Amino acid sequence: MRILVIDDEPKVASFIRRALEEENYAVDVASDGQSGLDFAKSVNYDLIVLDLMLPQLPGMAVLQQLRAARIHTPLLILTARAELDQRVRGLDAGADDYLTKPFAIEELLARARALLRRGSGSSTEILQVEDLVINTATHEVTRGGQRIELTSKEYALLEYLMRNAGRVLTRPMIIEHVWDLDFDTFTNVIDVYISYLRNKIDRGRDRSLIQTVRGSGYMIRAEE
Amino acid sequence: MSIRVRLTLWYGTALAIILVIFAGIIYFVMAQALHDRVDAALQDAAQVAIRSLEDRFGPFLIFEDLSRDFPELALVDKFFQIFGPTGQVTIQSANIKSREIPLSQTAFQAALKGQATFESIRLRESIPFRLLSVPIRYRGRLVNILRVGTSLQPIEDTLHRLLLTLVIASPIAVIVSLLGGWFLAGRALCPVDAITLAAQRIATGDLTQRITAPTSSDEIGRLASTFNDMIARLETLFRQIRQFSADASHELRTPLTITKGETELALRRPRQVEDYRSVLESNLEEIDRMSRIVDELLFLSRADLGEIKLHWGPVQLDEVLAHIQQQVTVLGQDRGIQATLTDVTPTTVYGDELRLRELLLNLVDNAVKYSHPGDTIELSLNHMGAYARLQVIDHGIGIAPEEQPRIFDRFYRADAARAHANKGTGLGLAICKWIVEAHRGAIHVHSTLNAGSCFTVLLPLSSPS
Repeated sequence: MRILVIDDEPKVASFIRRALEEENYAVDVASDGQSGLDFAKSVNYDLIVLDLMLPQLPGMAVLQQLRAARIHTPLLILTARAELDQRVRGLDAGADDYLTKPFAIEELLARARALLRRGSGSSTEILQVEDLVINTATHEVTRGGQRIELTSKEYALLEYLMRNAGRVLTRPMIIEHVWDLDFDTFTNVIDVYISYLRNKIDRGRDRSLIQTVRGSGYMIRAEE
Repeated sequence: MSIRVRLTLWYGTALAIILVIFAGIIYFVMAQALHDRVDAALQDAAQVAIRSLEDRFGPFLIFEDLSRDFPELALVDKFFQIFGPTGQVTIQSANIKSREIPLSQTAFQAALKGQATFESIRLRESIPFRLLSVPIRYRGRLVNILRVGTSLQPIEDTLHRLLLTLVIASPIAVIVSLLGGWFLAGRALCPVDAITLAAQRIATGDLTQRITAPTSSDEIGRLASTFNDMIARLETLFRQIRQFSADASHELRTPLTITKGETELALRRPRQVEDYRSVLESNLEEIDRMSRIVDELLFLSRADLGEIKLHWGPVQLDEVLAHIQQQVTVLGQDRGIQATLTDVTPTTVYGDELRLRELLLNLVDNAVKYSHPGDTIELSLNHMGAYARLQVIDHGIGIAPEEQPRIFDRFYRADAARAHANKGTGLGLAICKWIVEAHRGAIHVHSTLNAGSCFTVLLPLSSPS
């Protein structure tokens, strides 16, 4: 899951990034409205966290231009103003949720999870394919009741596959949603991580869940 | 009891008292005048009668001829009686009819002494009479007593009518005046009700309310306009306070968000010691920023309330400037920023040295903050007309033209300054402006984006006295 944080206060952006990264999200930070808008237009993010008080291009304008450009990425606004009209205007302009600064980290993460869930059409924190179950809040992964330990990247990759269970995910899609901008796209890191996941999830099982779609990418689904 | 009722009652009572006194005076003056006229008429009649009697008959009267010769003795409204020296009636006019009015002892005694006597009597039918008894003397001896009398009935009737008129008319006048007073007091007090209503609406928090009373120059009009002025000032003040507290809470929210967020993040799981250290250092920075905001806010709110007193005295500006130059060396050490003094004219102004230092320190602090590493800041001091002109020039990030008018506003930060890593509180220039204006000076800025800024401070050279 890849998230864009647009906030001009470097320290705020920094701790939000670290918190999200600890939850295995890929995070990009934009420090002003214009670059935030450019990022959001060039990468298919799963969630945007937008501060309303921004230099150059105000947050509200970023939001309106995004929605005008038919980019309907779930969007969480951050505002220092608790005033009702600010929140109402933000929600009316197409924001999906808001948080008032100062906020609790856990609340930010919970709202981010809720918005990501909404983005993938799921309504609970539990994702399941056959006997493989992951909890997106606790990052707990079990198969057939057996707990499986994953590294954060492995988990992020698995969560993305699970959220899109039954759909073929191309390498560029996986890159876009699981890795952030610092990632060098010409390596075969995805194939490496897929094999790690297969080792932990499918090895020694009757049924393999992670499948290679020749020539296009990977998908996770119950075998027919 | 409402003012309207009280005013009306006061008015009515005063009018009633005045009317009673006035009616009493009229009645008594009138009664006196009428009685005086009766007495005068009686005297005239008596004199005429005596002179006629003496002319024609001498001191001794021939009574038989008298009634025949003097038809005027039979006047309608007066009657005559002539008594003998012993007090018995010898003759009387016809209109006295059969009524016997004997000579009183008092009148007889007075007549013996040669004095005339006025008497008021009331006969059995209770008809009031006024009597004048005049002695007629010849060679020191009382020969006759002439009595002239007249009925007081017409006077009594007149006075009675007058009294009746007064007794009926006065209460009517009082009632009419009460009604008039009630109406007039109501009219006069109507704007007061309007003021009360407006005040009630204002008390519920609606400071946009104004009194729409007539803008006359009377007491009520003045009250209304004073009231409106007061509300207008309150409204401005409330708006300022609301804006100020909104800005303040907004400004405090960013450092709070950072300290809260970083601390919570650090506590989510066990960390390395260096991680804790960096969180604590960052938090300390934010705490310093918050206490600076709070200090500066406190200064500005005290300044707004007029609680900041300037300690006036002569200030050697060139010395202050030299000191500030040294400060820049310290402030800009990390980034190799230097300050040079160009064109320093020895100048003394009258002001508060501490505040003027603070002003310059704020300006050079900004200059250092927004300069590029290795830059030079230029400081100058010279005279311009009746003013000392201080200039702080940097070659840093500059300020966009559309933002220049607003940088002295509280909490306003230019976009470029906002994006700058080392953030201020947004209050420094507002404080500078306050200090300069408290010295009856002026401050302005010339700046080009990405080329640098020049802050100019003008302070009057003459002492304020």
